[in-house]
Amino acid sequence: MNLITLCARAIASMRYNKTRSFLTTLGIIIGVTTIIAIVALLKGLDRTIDQEFSSLGTKTIYVQKLELEIGLRRHRNFEEISKRPDLTVADAAAISKLPTVRAAVPNIHRDLGTLTRGVYEADECLLTGIGEGGDLTGNWVVSEGRFITRYDQQHRNMVCVIGSYVAGNLFGPGEEPLGQTLEVEGRRYTVVGVLEEKGASFGHPQDNQIYVPVETYIKYYSLPEGRASVFRGIRIEVLPEEKVPVEAAVADVEELLRLRHGLRYYEDNDFGLNTQESMLSSLNTIRSVLWLVMVGVAGISLLVGGIGIMNIMLVSVAERTREIGIRKAVGASDADVMVQFLSEAVALSSVGGVVGIFLGLAAGAFVSAITPLQAAAPWWTVVLGVGFSAAVGIIFGIYPARKASGLNPIEAIRYE
Amino acid sequence: MAARKKTPAARSPVDGLIELVGVSKVYNPDRVPVHALADVDLQIAAGEYVAIMGPSGSGKSTLMHILGCLDTPTSGSYSLRGQEVSRYTGKKLAHIRNRDVGFVFQRFNLLPRLTAAENVELPLLYARAPADRRREVVADLLAKVGLSDRGHHRPNELSGGEVQRVAIARALANDPAIILADEPTGNLDSKSEDDLMELLDSLNAAGRTLVVVTHEDSVARHAKRVVLLHDGRVV
Repeated sequence: MNLITLCARAIASMRYNKTRSFLTTLGIIIGVTTIIAIVALLKGLDRTIDQEFSSLGTKTIYVQKLELEIGLRRHRNFEEISKRPDLTVADAAAISKLPTVRAAVPNIHRDLGTLTRGVYEADECLLTGIGEGGDLTGNWVVSEGRFITRYDQQHRNMVCVIGSYVAGNLFGPGEEPLGQTLEVEGRRYTVVGVLEEKGASFGHPQDNQIYVPVETYIKYYSLPEGRASVFRGIRIEVLPEEKVPVEAAVADVEELLRLRHGLRYYEDNDFGLNTQESMLSSLNTIRSVLWLVMVGVAGISLLVGGIGIMNIMLVSVAERTREIGIRKAVGASDADVMVQFLSEAVALSSVGGVVGIFLGLAAGAFVSAITPLQAAAPWWTVVLGVGFSAAVGIIFGIYPARKASGLNPIEAIRYE
Repeated sequence: MAARKKTPAARSPVDGLIELVGVSKVYNPDRVPVHALADVDLQIAAGEYVAIMGPSGSGKSTLMHILGCLDTPTSGSYSLRGQEVSRYTGKKLAHIRNRDVGFVFQRFNLLPRLTAAENVELPLLYARAPADRRREVVADLLAKVGLSDRGHHRPNELSGGEVQRVAIARALANDPAIILADEPTGNLDSKSEDDLMELLDSLNAAGRTLVVVTHEDSVARHAKRVVLLHDGRVV
């Protein structure tokens, strides 16, 4: 009997008892759906994180008072961390002189809330003092005008570079922001540049920035102290020279800062060097937990589904004892009967697998539709789903199939 | 077929299609032995029409199972078409059942899930016949038993007589040496019985070897030879 005939017979046999077949495949459906859906979610997570990081600048090193981690939050003593020395503009200047470093840019910001300009309003604006080169480290493209320059720093110029959201909301249609004055907390800045739109990163808007020279910022605003300094103090964004590996630049910056902070060799760093890599490493913990969940749920439901298939196949063998006898009487060998029942088990589990694949893909599409996560299952999950379900059918189908093929034809024919 | 060529030259001098010599069948040999067949000698030539009769428990069914290669004798020899099949096992017996023997049972002959045509097709499937040949043979056989228009019906849509005709068509599928029928008319009214026996007679008239197990004289009367069994012995 060729494969097509075999499949056709197996499917016909399934359709003979539709409800039972459906209930039997439920475990497989759940298992395969879980596999596909979780892989889709993980891939979506990866893709989303890649996008978020690419908008940050993949090579940028963030020098901060604390080591940042995404996700699992270790218990940390913020009191201790707040006593660490603040990072300074001088630190940034020193770092920028390292041969492995292309730019080291101090960055400090404050929330402005809603900003108004005449009849126009923009919510949740940020005022950020930034060094020259901040467009490089922040991965910004200046669409009009220029970024903050060293000249602006030296003279504490009253100039600003604004994000697309600020430009779009505070200036009317057809109004040219360049050269206009923007009043922020009673001080008037001249707009010298407008940035290209970048979108949100990790749920935070980025186009609500008003960048001013960091020296200008420090002149007017006192630096945060105590616990506030941990997150809101000056941080330094370091961009390594091209072709210099991030790790090499990290090592140089670390050595320099330890020196400047007068740390002994046995003392830990009193600053954080946060890179995409270091933040991702904690994310990998979440990812492996998700994988474990997937393997667990999928494994258990495939096991339960397999046992269900074995059970129903045993019932089927018992019900069809006479059929098996007749088949043997007309010339079916043990192997023929074995293959027949095995193919029915595999058909059950494979149909469950295919339904599971569609449900899993649908779950991914649903998540993509209602969340920013671009969940999408790669092609190999489909192969995985089919493979797993077929394997379950074979593994759990062997015992009933052997039982069927081993029946004595005489007893099987007498059976009623 | 290599296996057949190797068969020793010690063939029966008679044109014995079937030759049983000293065949015994003992069930339960270790505890309470039941001698279903004891020292049975039986020759059936090609083209014969034999009825096997006897009261229940006389060993009719056991003899038929051995003749049909569903079972093997405990001792003695059985040669079918010159092959010594009494020591065959598993796959070889299945092959013989497929090619050399056609069964017609008393009841529940057909697979209820399959149509009449699919039932007739079964032995061809197990013989690995190609699809076009299967279609052709099935159509021929259904025509031969007068059921060309019933091929797509399932057994529960057929009358008892029609079911038995389909069973006969199926028994003929691989053009076997012998047709074994076990009480083929056991469940039929007399009209259907007559029709069925007429069909069997016509098969024999065309040269087919028939062995019918029955306890009804009306059936046995059609046969040209009657073998009577009593307590596992030919009398």
